[in-house]
Amino acid sequence: MVYEEPVTDYDHIVENCTCAFCGSNCDDLDYLVKGNHVVAVRHACRLGASKIMEDEDQRLKVPMMRDENGELQEVDWDTALDAAAELIANAVRPLFYGWSETSIECMKKGLELTEYVGAVIDNQATICHGPTVQAVQNVGYPLMSLGEVKNRADMVVYTGSNPMNAHPRHLARYSVFPRGWFRQRGRFDRTLVTWDPKFSDTAKMSDIWVPFEENGDYAFCNAIRAVLKGKELKEDVISGIPKQDIIDLTEAMKNVEFGALFFGLGLTHTLSKQRNIDIAIGLVQDLNAYTKWVLLPMRGHFNVNGFNIFMAYQMGFPYGVDFCRGYPRYMIGETTTVDLLNREEPDVFMVIAADPGAHFPGGANMHLANIPVIQIDIHWGPSTELADIVLPGTFIGVETAGTSYRMDSVPIHMKSAINPPETCREDEWIVNELYERVKKIKEEAK
Amino acid sequence: MKTITLTLKKFSSIALEFEELIPDTVYNWNKEDFENYQVPVGNSRFPLTNYFDIEVEGDAEGPEDVKMILEGDMGRVKYIGYRMTDGEIIVNGDADLQAGAEMIGGSLKINGNAESYVGREMRGGNIEVMGNVKEYCGTSYIGEWRGMSGGVIKVHGNAGKQLADCMSGGEIYIGGNCDILAGIHMTKGYIEIGGDVTRWPGGQMKNGTIVIKGKLSYLLEGFDPEGVFVDPEVDGKQLAGKYIKYKGDVGVNGKGSLWLDAEKNRNLL
Repeated sequence: MVYEEPVTDYDHIVENCTCAFCGSNCDDLDYLVKGNHVVAVRHACRLGASKIMEDEDQRLKVPMMRDENGELQEVDWDTALDAAAELIANAVRPLFYGWSETSIECMKKGLELTEYVGAVIDNQATICHGPTVQAVQNVGYPLMSLGEVKNRADMVVYTGSNPMNAHPRHLARYSVFPRGWFRQRGRFDRTLVTWDPKFSDTAKMSDIWVPFEENGDYAFCNAIRAVLKGKELKEDVISGIPKQDIIDLTEAMKNVEFGALFFGLGLTHTLSKQRNIDIAIGLVQDLNAYTKWVLLPMRGHFNVNGFNIFMAYQMGFPYGVDFCRGYPRYMIGETTTVDLLNREEPDVFMVIAADPGAHFPGGANMHLANIPVIQIDIHWGPSTELADIVLPGTFIGVETAGTSYRMDSVPIHMKSAINPPETCREDEWIVNELYERVKKIKEEAK
Repeated sequence: MKTITLTLKKFSSIALEFEELIPDTVYNWNKEDFENYQVPVGNSRFPLTNYFDIEVEGDAEGPEDVKMILEGDMGRVKYIGYRMTDGEIIVNGDADLQAGAEMIGGSLKINGNAESYVGREMRGGNIEVMGNVKEYCGTSYIGEWRGMSGGVIKVHGNAGKQLADCMSGGEIYIGGNCDILAGIHMTKGYIEIGGDVTRWPGGQMKNGTIVIKGKLSYLLEGFDPEGVFVDPEVDGKQLAGKYIKYKGDVGVNGKGSLWLDAEKNRNLL
């Protein structure tokens, strides 16, 4: 790695900004600003810093529409908004997807629009922690705040996630390294355990690595629960782990003062999906008969949890909410984005602050190529190639203030540090403008 | 007896919702009523005649006198027989999501394959599927801890994942194979699977009965063997042959019973 000199050429510092990258929502960042541009970021990880500093790279700056040759051409805001509103107003099965990288204030406007036109509203949970949310609905949510983990936890388990790569400051700021009230020696007072088939970077620095076989998570948790209930295990090896190791691990988990289990997509997206989380929650409940244990999903985007909390609070369902009959409905496989696209149901698709072009399965993207797609985003990406109308938004947490929810459901205000480009508009303004224009079209049609 | 025949003439890629077209609501409808009816499609309603040819014969005093026949591929017709209390519906083709969901009585026969959520939260009546069913047959609403509580589902083909999740009553018979976690969180009821099962039947089950007549690939640690029984009588049903009985799931102090065909699962003896 090449040594880089610290940045000293800046105009002023904006302190205590919130990172707009992962679900850790680190709110201790300092932005070094020069000429309305963030030239350096203090305290952030490499992922967060690069997202904040390199926001001009492939930035969408002007509204665009496809011409008759299929090329995106610059248009004025009124033309783009009117065309988008016309598409939404005339759609029979519109679908509004994304929302996890924008503010709660924007989601509020989006929900009004969704309810008014009878659309489906969904976020990235549908392809990441959706199974977690389903399991939580089924069996409960023994969660905590990250502050509790920092101050109390003496055993931290990561399973199906690799925070050293995906949430780089999670261990440093919340779970393993920081000195807490009851853990004055930080890392030395804690046992770090990783359950993961892969010898990930997190596993490399763990005290205990449990490499259960792929898709073996359900049977592994079931075996621990059976041991907790005093049962002797029948098999010598369960999910690739020797019987005695499972018994020893269970004993270790019983004898801590405060344990925290963090899980990622490695648990939500293996064979038994939401039932992995279901049994992990059951396991945490069982462990609470002996000592204090809690669990938390490692959420990906900085506001993916915010959307689920916002929707659950407003409509009773966390994601994939269908308003086509005028009232909210929610059913996995029926009202969720990828299933709807695979069934070729949606006739208009609006994507806001998300990149389905990069993340969706091929079948779903094939349908997106066949229907009108409206994109509200700040950067050019694979979804822009699928989009027919592009509306450039602003960067929440850097250019626009807003509210987001951290992975432990703590709401955090995100400051703005610089001004957005003159030709861009705030996400909230764009969605509200679409709502007003759709309303006008619908009322004129009456 | 009133026979209503709806023959598909135009396939809609956006699913039609049929929960209003059950014997309980249509027993006193004549052909004109059907022609004036607008069926929910997405956020709109369109005339039923756009999609179906309609024939109505005979009269009915109540839903019990109604026989509805749906001809053609109903692969985009959701909620067939939703909350029906009586009468008969026959689908001569495949059926879409939620066929027979929350059904209370009557009978639904699908002469093809069915999508997910067949008989979700069913309380009574009979469902027969001649082909395969996909995921979550006889299951609960997502987040609800009580699933199917009564009635009978008979599937002649294979069943997908998480059959009868949170089942609290009723009977399910699967003729073919079954995927993972059949009877997960089950508290009551009877499941009989004629073919092979991939993994983990009865995960976290508290009570109820699962009978597997084929080969089971993975059994959970939470099940304790209770012996081998010859021609056992299980829930009032006489099984032929030797069966290994397990009790579980221990992880939740469950008292459910899992019966495995001893000949096909000799490795577990």
